[in-house]
Amino acid sequence: MTDRRHILLLLAPALIVLGGLFLTGLGLTLLRSFRYFPALGLTQPDLAAYAAILTTPGFLKSLALSLWIAATSTLIAAALALGAALVLRQTFPGRAFVSFLVQLNLTIPHIVGAIGILYLFSQSGSFARLAYAAGLISGPQDFPALTQDPFAIGIILLYVWKELPFITLILLANLQTLGEDHEAVARSLGASRWQTFRHVLLPMLMPGLASASGLVFAFAFGAYEVPLVLGAYSPKALPVLAWQAWTDTDLATRPEAMAMAVVIALIGLLLLALVARTLNRGERDAR
Amino acid sequence: MAALTLSGLTKRYGGTSQAALHRLDLSIASGSLTALLGPSGSGKTTTMKLIAGLIAPDAGDIRLGGRSIRDLAPERRGVAMVFQNPLLFPHLTVAGNVGFGLRMRGLPADRIASSVALMLSRVRLTGLGDRRPGQLSGGQQQRTALARALILRPDVLLLDEPLSNLDPSLRDEMRQLIRELHSETGITTLVVTHDQTEAVALADHVALLLDGRLAQAGPPETFYQRPATQAVARFFGGVNFIPGTARAGVFDSALGPLRLPAGIAEGAGLLTIRPEALRFGPGPNPLIARVEGVTFLGTQSRIDLLAGGVRLQALTDPDAASDLVRGSDVAVTLPPQALWVLPSAP
Repeated sequence: MTDRRHILLLLAPALIVLGGLFLTGLGLTLLRSFRYFPALGLTQPDLAAYAAILTTPGFLKSLALSLWIAATSTLIAAALALGAALVLRQTFPGRAFVSFLVQLNLTIPHIVGAIGILYLFSQSGSFARLAYAAGLISGPQDFPALTQDPFAIGIILLYVWKELPFITLILLANLQTLGEDHEAVARSLGASRWQTFRHVLLPMLMPGLASASGLVFAFAFGAYEVPLVLGAYSPKALPVLAWQAWTDTDLATRPEAMAMAVVIALIGLLLLALVARTLNRGERDAR
Repeated sequence: MAALTLSGLTKRYGGTSQAALHRLDLSIASGSLTALLGPSGSGKTTTMKLIAGLIAPDAGDIRLGGRSIRDLAPERRGVAMVFQNPLLFPHLTVAGNVGFGLRMRGLPADRIASSVALMLSRVRLTGLGDRRPGQLSGGQQQRTALARALILRPDVLLLDEPLSNLDPSLRDEMRQLIRELHSETGITTLVVTHDQTEAVALADHVALLLDGRLAQAGPPETFYQRPATQAVARFFGGVNFIPGTARAGVFDSALGPLRLPAGIAEGAGLLTIRPEALRFGPGPNPLIARVEGVTFLGTQSRIDLLAGGVRLQALTDPDAASDLVRGSDVAVTLPPQALWVLPSAP
């Protein structure tokens, strides 16, 4: 009993922040997405906001775009991170410097990176100028649209650049814990290098890779500032669309903004639950 | 089956001047059960990793059945290694672990399943195939690891300290199992161990490594009866070393003339006798010694003696030791057949 009270006391600051701020905010968002907003004279909760966004073609396009951005950048970042981690766990001259380079961009804010991408890759950016100076293109319109483009290449580029080191670091920590002995065993049991990677190392790294990738996906899916800077005018990424609806001069669109926020949060939660379930199964298997 | 021959095998780890392994020559007979013995840092694990192909030698050759395997990838050598730690794959079941090597060879699933079932019964794990490694006891994990290597019928099986992670009560069982599987399969087996009693109890041939060099190789008894050097004798529990000279079947030292067994080289040397070979009472090569101390060790007692200014140690059963009083004189004999002369330490 005393133990329990003690634990509660220690947890209180975290619980107050989580419960008081986060859950209250989430609750208000939910209420308003159900069009319960007494200040505007809305006192009868209904699902009209959800119905409205689901029937808007713009919303579905934005949802698809956000899923595309999150899935593509997560997959590319995870694959590259896996390769990087496998190289970086070996000792070679200059390894410390490469590790430093890989970790450096963890400290750079997303928005700064986004503006950097804009400077480099936009149709009037540095690479376009270089191409023009080299006579490869005759004007900005000839440079491929890599930013504010319909395929969100600029956004994906930024997320890959930014999240790759995060996944790499988690994988490196995993690799360090695992050691190389299981691989040595596999080799002595007749597995080739590739088989050892495919049937021993990769399955053993999967829990770490899945949880890191899940976090990256949820972030890339829900973050707002990067698609705002690097995204096309239409379709907009879901968080941008939600923000736009919320800041609209017509207050009646606010419930729709809230409904979009709830959808974003739900998809993120669903994904994390999926990852947690996979990890639990992995842990049960390992026991 | 194939004989394993190491010749001039040398390994240096980066930056160190002292070789971890220095020009090792060792022949392991086909179908033998050999123990590679040595204290930690003696190069025994390095030797094993070189044979398995996990590290590359700086010089020398490794031949298996007449062909060099020195430059082959680990998976192409026909050498399977069982590590000190079972290192089972946590994402696979026990059956999945045991069948791993066959699956890598691309065998059909039904053939793998029947081989695995047979192998599990041989290591007494029948019915545990669906378990996860984490659900097994330490002994069961070790047996799974053994089964995982044996199922491949390798030309050479390497076992790294197979008993040291087990409870004492399980060690006998595992030792028995290793001997049993070895005589059933006839696979050339090399066991690495730091424990000399384990080596002699398990193997029919022992190779002792000291400081990266082969100190002695031969049947287990020779290490007790005819150690090659003082270091070998010490490693096997030798404590009595008396400097002197052997001439015409007699050893002259501070203890006076002592009769030697036949076949001992003449010249200056160190007389040695195992502490358990000293006898109390009358007999050949008699001495009078003063009892300096009696220490009860459980199944034996250690008697510290002083004779002619030479310290000797005897091990005897505790009942016999109960008559010995500290400070009194006692009659001791050094049976000639238990004497051996080592070359003088340089």
